[in-house]
Amino acid sequence: MSVIYIALPIAILLGGAAMVACVLCIRSGQYDDMETPSVRILIEDRKQKDSQPSQSPDCESET
Amino acid sequence: MTQVNRTAASETVQAVPDANPNHRVPCVHCGLPTVVSPDEDPQSVFCCNGCRGAYQLIQGWGLADFYALRDQLGNSETTSVSAKRRGFESFDSDPFLGRSAPRPTSEGTLVTNLALHGLHCGACAWLIENAAAQTPGWIVGRVRMSDHTIRIVFDPKVIRLSEIARLLDGIGYELAPLTKDADEQFWRQNRKLLMQIAIAGFCATNAMWIAIALYAGEASGVAAGHRSFLRLIGTGLGMASVVGPGRTFFRGALASMRTWTPHMDLPIALGLSVGTLMGAINAVTGAGAVYFDSLAVLVFLLLIGRWIQFRQQHRAAKAVDLLLRITPRHAKRVLPDETEETVLVDVLAIDDIVRVAAGDNIPVDGEIVTGETTIDRSLLTGESRPVSANIGAEVLSGTVNLSRPIDVRVQALGTQSRIGKVMQSVEEATTEKTPIVQLADRIGGVFVMTVTVLAFATFVGWWRSGWAVAAENATALLIVACPCALALATPLAIAVALGRSARRKILVRDGASFQHLAGRGTIWFDKTGTLTEGRPRVVDSFGDADAIRHAAAIEQACCHPLADGIIREANRRQLHLPADAVLDGVAVGGILGHSEGHRVDVGNLLLMQRHDVWIDPPFRDAAERFAAAGLSPILIAVEKVAVTVLAMADPILPDAKPTIAELTETGWRVGILSGDNREIVDRVASELGISSELARGDLSPEQKLSVIQERSDQPDPVVMIGDGANDAAALAAADVGIAVRGGAEVSLQAAPIYIASGKLASIADLFRGARSTRRLIYATFAVSLAYNLFAVILAIAGLISPLVAAVLMPISSVTVLTITMAWPTFRSEYR
Repeated sequence: MSVIYIALPIAILLGGAAMVACVLCIRSGQYDDMETPSVRILIEDRKQKDSQPSQSPDCESET
Repeated sequence: MTQVNRTAASETVQAVPDANPNHRVPCVHCGLPTVVSPDEDPQSVFCCNGCRGAYQLIQGWGLADFYALRDQLGNSETTSVSAKRRGFESFDSDPFLGRSAPRPTSEGTLVTNLALHGLHCGACAWLIENAAAQTPGWIVGRVRMSDHTIRIVFDPKVIRLSEIARLLDGIGYELAPLTKDADEQFWRQNRKLLMQIAIAGFCATNAMWIAIALYAGEASGVAAGHRSFLRLIGTGLGMASVVGPGRTFFRGALASMRTWTPHMDLPIALGLSVGTLMGAINAVTGAGAVYFDSLAVLVFLLLIGRWIQFRQQHRAAKAVDLLLRITPRHAKRVLPDETEETVLVDVLAIDDIVRVAAGDNIPVDGEIVTGETTIDRSLLTGESRPVSANIGAEVLSGTVNLSRPIDVRVQALGTQSRIGKVMQSVEEATTEKTPIVQLADRIGGVFVMTVTVLAFATFVGWWRSGWAVAAENATALLIVACPCALALATPLAIAVALGRSARRKILVRDGASFQHLAGRGTIWFDKTGTLTEGRPRVVDSFGDADAIRHAAAIEQACCHPLADGIIREANRRQLHLPADAVLDGVAVGGILGHSEGHRVDVGNLLLMQRHDVWIDPPFRDAAERFAAAGLSPILIAVEKVAVTVLAMADPILPDAKPTIAELTETGWRVGILSGDNREIVDRVASELGISSELARGDLSPEQKLSVIQERSDQPDPVVMIGDGANDAAALAAADVGIAVRGGAEVSLQAAPIYIASGKLASIADLFRGARSTRRLIYATFAVSLAYNLFAVILAIAGLISPLVAAVLMPISSVTVLTITMAWPTFRSEYR
């Protein structure tokens, strides 16, 4: 019994998991905007004023 | 410009204090060249008070980095600051917001999604998101550049939505409620395509490394068990790719068979199914080649091509969404008890009464029932001069009510209004396929027939050598002839051209324009604002300079470009403007008003004659001399006696001459269509080296349109280059309209191309890029067809096995991809 019979399905499964993660990201709308995020990482964070709620501005959860 | 000065300056009676009118410095906020005295600090130059206000607001937030960031991101242009300050109270009412009505969150805050107009680049997103962080109560502001929306989370106890809207308006961005028909459809489709690409990509990459293992095994020996295991797994992946994301092509092929229209999907589906079938049979029997890696890569690449095409089409569709951008979405309905309520235009009915305030866009087609006013109909007619409208007059949606509030009885709404119908026809025109895509489909049709016949002939021809050999050769032919490179070539080339031109601030709505621009034909330029600055300046004067302050003070209430020029002249001379000036009326060719108790008339000679103004012979001579030099004489009369003659001219843009020279050199006929005076047009034409028979002045917008339409019958393309808002009709009628001014959103409705850089040199750049793109498309067509021809001949001759065919097939796609990326479209030295 060669190791390939175990290694190969595992490799495919790992890749498949990544693919599923990617599909889930697309489905949740993370890929809808391809322009703003690429610019946003270039922007330095400013110190938030103390009066601001501790909530992170990146919080995207739909409530 | 300098020539004009030299010829006319000698006669100036009143010397200008700091006599260099050419000293221009870009406005700190918007970059517009502004005339200033040389001793002024260039760091504090503003073209208008709106820009000054926006600058101070941004500085006040400590966000001065915006300007550095903006320049760094290569976008030198900011949004124009809207001059009018509207009430934003309506943002606090849910009926106004419609779909954008705020929803409460669990933390007691409110969340809403709104449309955001005026975004240009990443710096805008940065500015807005930081503005949110600096404003107490405004918790989250997330900008989405791709569809120009913003998600706002705010604390209703601290701040109201109307205050946020006012803040954003202050820095030049306009909030608006989302429309009913958000493009849900598009986003669902977009996500579906992306998911298909993800799955196909997974299959393709994994199939590829399995294939590598197999090739290595062929070379160095491999255990039979391992070999068949790898082949089975690989085939599984290939089939998953074909059956999963590859289904699209079979669906397309079925549809094309049902309607008997040749389509690229047909040969693709044929190649895919034959490859899958043969591969599967070979994998199970353990003999012959399996094609899974080629199939998976093929599906992956084709899906990417399809996605690019899809996004491109969506951009075109979005751009014609004009109705919603230029006609207001809200109206003030007048109730029977004379009270007003703000409602969405969608809920209005025929015969409702709508009140339109002065300065507002008219939301409906209808008839005036109360009030009289003047109306700017430039959107529909291109005529920038206001027309007066009384009770009973017909008004059209999209036009602007200029002077006094009116009540309008609704006669037609939305798509039934005149502007709505125009826009529908534009929309229909853009959904037509580009000729070059049609060419690809046509070739695809011929291709699939030829390939099928050839495959059959090969099969019959090799029949004598046995069934297996015949089938193998026919399969090799089908696989090697798969026209994936052909299908990729056009969308790729156009997508690359669109992307690269956008980086040069040339926004192109549909790829078909490149086709027209690559040829030869006639180009008509609008004059004012296109070849010239569009901001007339006082270049010479005669008589009493003191009267300029009266004229300027009265003109402040007026928003005509000439008025602007007079006010700037007064500022430059540092005259003190009387505070009590009143504008009494606007007439054709000028205005009249009162200042410091005197009656003041400002206007051209005709207006002066109509108002019985006394003009002394020297003044008349000066006016005629200015007119003969191609300048526009404007007279100022105090108490009905002419005291000053101003010579106004609109300076020619510095890059106009080289641009026109280059266009003429490449074989285009270049002409001018202008509503302006003949002499002025002739002067501009001779200065730019345009032959006088192609310089047409004194044209009404209808005449402009007919000049363009009469030429449109000929096969040579007609290109119109003009102002997006005022030449909308002419731009839409031309084969290719290129808008150089006016907001991007409005311009892209009428014209498929918008030059956002505001530089004329970009036009020459665009034409070069178009020619290069056409050459690229033909080159890739030639390469992929030549490749297919060569491979098909080999396959018929039985010289390539299906395995070699499977290796060769992706090479043609890769070749096309490489050529496209390396092609020097929009790569010239010009910056």
